Amino acid sequence: MANDILLEIKDLHAGIGEKEILKGVNLTIRKGEIHAVMGPNGAGKSTLSAVLTGKPMYEVTSGSITFMGKDLLSMSPEERSWAGIFMSFQYPVEIPGVTITNFMKTAINAKREALGLEPMKAGDFLKLLKEKMAFVKMRPEFAKREVNVGFSGGEKKRNEIFQMAMLEPKFSILDETDSGLDVDALKIVADGVNALHTEETSAIIITHYQKLLEYVVPDVVHVLKAGRIVTTGGRELVDAIEKNGFDQFQ
Amino acid sequence: MANEVYILRPGSLRLPPEHVEVHDGESLNMTVIVLPGVSAQIPLRVDVCGSNASVTLNGLYLTDASDNVSIITDIRHTVSGSTSTQLFNGVASGQSRFSFFGKILIAQDAQKIEAYQTNRNILLSQNATVDTKPQLEIYADDVKCSHGATVGQLNADEQFYMRSRGIPEVEAKVLQVISFLSPVLAGIEDESLRASLAEEVENEIRKMSV
Repeated sequence: MANDILLEIKDLHAGIGEKEILKGVNLTIRKGEIHAVMGPNGAGKSTLSAVLTGKPMYEVTSGSITFMGKDLLSMSPEERSWAGIFMSFQYPVEIPGVTITNFMKTAINAKREALGLEPMKAGDFLKLLKEKMAFVKMRPEFAKREVNVGFSGGEKKRNEIFQMAMLEPKFSILDETDSGLDVDALKIVADGVNALHTEETSAIIITHYQKLLEYVVPDVVHVLKAGRIVTTGGRELVDAIEKNGFDQFQ
Repeated sequence: MANEVYILRPGSLRLPPEHVEVHDGESLNMTVIVLPGVSAQIPLRVDVCGSNASVTLNGLYLTDASDNVSIITDIRHTVSGSTSTQLFNGVASGQSRFSFFGKILIAQDAQKIEAYQTNRNILLSQNATVDTKPQLEIYADDVKCSHGATVGQLNADEQFYMRSRGIPEVEAKVLQVISFLSPVLAGIEDESLRASLAEEVENEIRKMSV
């Protein structure tokens, strides 16, 4: 069974500066599982995704995170990406002057270089790009657009799932991916996430709302409150939260 | 008038004319590119002395080591009905110094003028210095003018976003600088010149201490 564990968080304490936000989080994610972490504002959801991806400014004061047997916390954000971690950002960043094509080519070839591989051939790259854009129903002209510049909320999230499809992560973090999306955009995002999911890959959906969880069904649901996981259960927890909110959990 | 590009490289300083007059119905589009290894004072005076005239002055600079560069623009709208736009973006690293003095003068009775000026600077090192001084002298009342100047650092959120996609920190910074300078290069009309300059600028950024 131990070999099935993809990610293990043990007694994680973390925050910004002097302020402790996560106060002892424990979480074990096995291959093929989709977990949801739900919680009210200020519970520490953003801090959890920031610590998993190595965002500067966030400090881990104690505890550990092991990813595929390696110490995740000693790795830089780019090393985590190369190892197979991906985050779909709550607020994807605009990068004027850098096209999606150039951005993804740089990302993919950086990973290949880190793994000791030759850069991808231009033709192969463009074929992959087209295939993945079609997969998330992105119009081909987006390849030449500047990253997220002038994109609607839905287009930005779709671009996140497109990047996820390009990078083929082993572990994906969907950080409030459902916020600001209409039902059509939500379905496209959810279809993408479901189609990319395999028995070897896992995901964690960090969310305030249950919207996305209607389309991507989690195996395990955690309630995060005041920096701790206070309850863990199955799909039924989502319904309980929808009915009675977060106050019922202490 | 054509789209003029002046490139200042070490040992080959192609300076723009110090004084240009723009007459009725004419347009001037000038871009100045200052690459690392150059120390120079670049004065650019443009007298817009005709109506239906338009002036675009753009520039980018990259300074490193002990480079010392100043750009001094002086745009004078002397009669009614013309526009000018200035955009100067640049990056200072090492112990370099950069200054921008940008003056817009709109004479009395020169109405219906639009004049805009932007100067954005990024400091890549604690020992680099940037001075920026916009100056508007407006003696007419029916005009639209603006100026904006910023001095800052590379955006941390942008950098983290790229790194989270597997782009190494140094490469992320290079992309950020390219991104920051891109609006200036976008103003160059000649497509093949624009592409070759974009490549040269990228190579120079890679040699700088980011």
